[in-house]
Amino acid sequence: MTEPSAARHSEAVEAVEVARTGRWPKETIVSLAAFFVLWHLASMMLPPFVAPSWARIGQSLADILARPEFIAVTVARVAAALLVSFVLGMTLAMAMYRWNAVERYLMPFVKLLMAVPVLCWILFAVLWFRNREVRIAFILVVVCAPIFVIDLLDGMHGVSKDLRDMVRALRPSARQFFAKLILPATVPAILTSWKVNLSLAIRVVTMAELVGATSGIGYALLMANETFSVAEVFAWTVVLVVILMLANIAVTRLERRLLVWRE
Amino acid sequence: MSDDIHVRALRKVFRQKGSGVPVVAIDRLDFTVRRGEVVAIVGKTGCGKSTFFNILIGLEKPTEGAIEIDGRTPYGDFDHFRGRIGIVFQQDRLLPWRSLLDNVTLGLEVIGLPPAEQRSRAERWLHRLGLDGFLRAYPGELSGGMRQRAALARAFAVNPSILLADEAFGHLDEVTARQIRGQFFEMVRSEGKTAILVTHQLEEAIDTADRLLVFGRPARLLADVGVTAWPPAEVPALRTRVQDVIETNQPDPAIAAKEPS
Ligand SMILES: Nc1ncnc2c1ncn2[C@@H]1O[C@H](COP(=O)(O)OP(=O)(O)OP(=O)(O)O)[C@@H](O)[C@H]1O
Ligand SMILES: [Mg+2]
Repeated sequence: MTEPSAARHSEAVEAVEVARTGRWPKETIVSLAAFFVLWHLASMMLPPFVAPSWARIGQSLADILARPEFIAVTVARVAAALLVSFVLGMTLAMAMYRWNAVERYLMPFVKLLMAVPVLCWILFAVLWFRNREVRIAFILVVVCAPIFVIDLLDGMHGVSKDLRDMVRALRPSARQFFAKLILPATVPAILTSWKVNLSLAIRVVTMAELVGATSGIGYALLMANETFSVAEVFAWTVVLVVILMLANIAVTRLERRLLVWRE
Repeated sequence: MSDDIHVRALRKVFRQKGSGVPVVAIDRLDFTVRRGEVVAIVGKTGCGKSTFFNILIGLEKPTEGAIEIDGRTPYGDFDHFRGRIGIVFQQDRLLPWRSLLDNVTLGLEVIGLPPAEQRSRAERWLHRLGLDGFLRAYPGELSGGMRQRAALARAFAVNPSILLADEAFGHLDEVTARQIRGQFFEMVRSEGKTAILVTHQLEEAIDTADRLLVFGRPARLLADVGVTAWPPAEVPALRTRVQDVIETNQPDPAIAAKEPS
């Protein structure tokens, strides 16, 4: 997870495009339709354990949706971990903004955390924790919280000197200064960091669930893999993509409401 | 409380961030601005006018000397001067996420006025500046002139006794600038405020101010002209001499001598 923030962001952007315009762009429909047809052709020529037919995939999807507990478990894990990461990230970013020394001492450590590959965190989690939920939460938080810290602090530092001087000339308390200027100015950065971390967390949680979880989408993927059920793996993938898109749509809706002044 | 502004042996030296090379922004300033005076400061670009304002509003501290109002310094006594010194900057500096109304209440929130009064005061000032129809509009939806009017409303709404304007009308087109400048002076004089404005427009300064302070570069007082003491017929001559003072960066004691008694 060492990609720069822009690249991480662009992945979230596509799904968001759909939400913003309220409909799919023409190119998206064409390319999805082409994929649909190609897969159909492939499924006719290749054995079902390589390219299952849409009918089989549809059947698997129906099975999955008939028992949505695993979906709920994974979504709950992501939501809880992101909330914890955000509170942690916001607290640290605020402390770093308030006290220069905190930033100077803590930032190298945060950057160090960001440089560690997800796989290493998964291995560390297995070595350090016995409780499965703790393992999953640890992996998600250690991956997402640093991104929140860096993006939020960036947002806070990005407030223009002109505006800071204007507000300071009114002689506000430190609390007023933060509440009336820094926090509202950081809202766009907060929303962006949520989009980035949503897509990241949904990809990471499945990996984390592969390691010793007994529920959740990652676990279901593992089971499907062990039974060579490509249709089911495919169906779960569709579910994951849809979850991410729905989440992005939710954030975009919120963004539109909070950032009306930008239009 | 007299609210006179005493500037005493004021000096400000910056250190450049990269090289640490010292930059003298204000060499030495000594003067007093009396309560209710309308003063214009003119001088070459980079002569330290904004730096002087930044010290006066408490954003910077002087390297030597002091600015004192009622025996206190605006950069030393943070709480005492809350709501007492208003400033209009060159750019409107409105908060883009707040409506015009909420931009004007900003200063009133800081001084802790009850919400109902914040609102009525903000509405009154926006009305006075002809912005009634735009209370709920965001700054991004308005023209530069309207935004600058809202910035005036924000500055006046807290009812400060001292008002500063740093090139506040320079970026607007001439017609709009003249209009808003007119409103600024009308409000300053009708409310009996002390006002100091920085301008590049010498003509504007002579037309509108009671007194002209000519800064050299780095800032020191080259001339202190009581404009009102000059008969209208001699104003063109005055303008030429002030121009000379600015160009040559040399004091002209003869202008100063013409100060009102
Ligand atoms: N924060 C700072 N750090 C370093 N140097 C500064 C700083 N602020 C101002 N200066 C320097 O001080 C000098 C005076 O700047 P100032 O902005 O006060 O001039 P000014 O008279 O307002 O100019 P203008 O008419 O262009 O607005 C300039 O040489 C400027 O580079
Ligand atoms: Mg300036």
